[in-house]
Amino acid sequence: MYIGYALKTALKGMYQEKWINLLSAFTVASSLFIVLLIGLILFNIELFAGTIHERYGLVVFLKDNLSELETQSVITEIHKKEGVISARYISKEDALKEIKDKLKDVSYVFEGLDTNPLSASIELRLKKDFITPEKVKTLSKNIKEISGVDEVFSAEKIAETIDYFNRSLSNMSLIVLIALISGVIFVIYSTVKILFYRRKEEIETVKLLGATRAFIRLPFLIEGATIGFIGGLISTAATLVIYFAITYRLSNVFPILQNLVFPNEVIVVFPIVGLILGVLGAFVAVGKLRF
Amino acid sequence: MISFSNVSKFYDYHTVLRSVNFTVEKGEMVFITGPSGAGKSTLLKLIYRAEDADEGEIIVGKFNVTSIKSSDVPNLRRQIGVVFQDFRLLKGLSVYENVAIALRIRGLPEKEIKSRVFDVLKRVNIRHLADSNPKALSGGEQQRVVIARAVVAEPQVILADEPTGNLDPNTAIDIINLLKDINITGSTIIVATHNKELFRGTGKRVLRIDSNTIAGEEIG
Ligand SMILES: Nc1ncnc2c1ncn2[C@@H]1O[C@H](COP(=O)(O)OP(=O)(O)O)[C@@H](O)[C@H]1O
Ligand SMILES: [Mg+2]
Repeated sequence: MYIGYALKTALKGMYQEKWINLLSAFTVASSLFIVLLIGLILFNIELFAGTIHERYGLVVFLKDNLSELETQSVITEIHKKEGVISARYISKEDALKEIKDKLKDVSYVFEGLDTNPLSASIELRLKKDFITPEKVKTLSKNIKEISGVDEVFSAEKIAETIDYFNRSLSNMSLIVLIALISGVIFVIYSTVKILFYRRKEEIETVKLLGATRAFIRLPFLIEGATIGFIGGLISTAATLVIYFAITYRLSNVFPILQNLVFPNEVIVVFPIVGLILGVLGAFVAVGKLRF
Repeated sequence: MISFSNVSKFYDYHTVLRSVNFTVEKGEMVFITGPSGAGKSTLLKLIYRAEDADEGEIIVGKFNVTSIKSSDVPNLRRQIGVVFQDFRLLKGLSVYENVAIALRIRGLPEKEIKSRVFDVLKRVNIRHLADSNPKALSGGEQQRVVIARAVVAEPQVILADEPTGNLDPNTAIDIINLLKDINITGSTIIVATHNKELFRGTGKRVLRIDSNTIAGEEIG
């Protein structure tokens, strides 16, 4: 077969236009880099949003001055509710002690405090399949109706905000992503087109000699694939560098950044995405090839 | 092997060929002659579908050229080796590569390409020029490269368009003798030329184009 020859022709062509090809690969890389960053940000927000209820569960604040028996009956009631795994009772005193522990450096804020302003509370952990906005909402409402319960705090508000933020970001990024990916295809298209025009006369001749469309196209597809693949590789490497910089350095300042996730699959998938976009651009650049 | 029935070709209302009829048998060598601009090149182009006939039917071997599918054109062209009037040698490629391309498009393995290309270069006496750039060669040498490329894949049909175009008479005779040798090995050959000296005494059939059609036939 003529794959060896196509490879040689493609490499020769790319070498002849090495600066344009290199520039093209870097342009592709920077576009794909932004695509990758947006993708990672969305992915991580999604991950975070998914774990928010698991992290925070529900907190039930009790009315003041409940007797031990009343408190016990509230806990029993709550345990009966569907979806509740565990309930941890935190008395007024425990709550104060916890706060004092946390704020021991600034303990003077508690000076002169002769009553305990905090409420007793019960922290709930919920079953995984129970953590959906609707179910959490109904559960909070039901618990609130138990006598002795003052207030139920759920991470619902946070989740809703993140969800809203995420959704508008997704819509915006979709437009940006489409623009960037079209840009990538266009850059590769233009680069391959240059080589195609350079070889126009040669192509006319090999057509007359009996070359098939595949024979003519293959070197250009290889060129496009190479540019796309290299672009994908560079952008993945750059994103990895940024990722490690953030998780190792910045996480000292913002500990939450330690939880950022970079899916390993990206390292394999993204260069292939670049390659596919490259083949696409090259295919359009070569066009129909009429006989 | 090749047959034209009532074939016409027009370029923008200007008639080049009208109602052309002829057949060429398998293994035959035929000359097509006529003054410059008579339509000789056009007639050859119709055979390898570089131009479309406007009327009539053209058959080449098992191909109906006038109703061929676009995807079948490469197959048709692989049955035909063309010695182009303007050479159409590929720039930036050596003589060897220029000849090898005819086998590359057929997907032959590299080893076979090498032996066949060197064989054919020997046959046309330019084996020593294999690594040269065709641009650096004389007209006669370039002509041999084009002939080598046309015959290397041993196509059933060879079309030679003014293969002695700007060559001196002795070189021209050499080239014609070379084509006659190739014809003896079984290829069907059509040579288009305005030069009557070329076919004189060959004993081959000569078709004369005049007033846009085959106006007569003689033996050279
Ligand atoms: N692509 C074309 N478009 C318009 N006219 C053409 C084209 N090719 C050839 N012709 C005209 O067709 C006529 C025959 O040309 P050609 O077949 O090259 O003649 P020959 O090879 O016998 O010298 C000429 O008048 C030429 O000008
Ligand atoms: Mg001509």
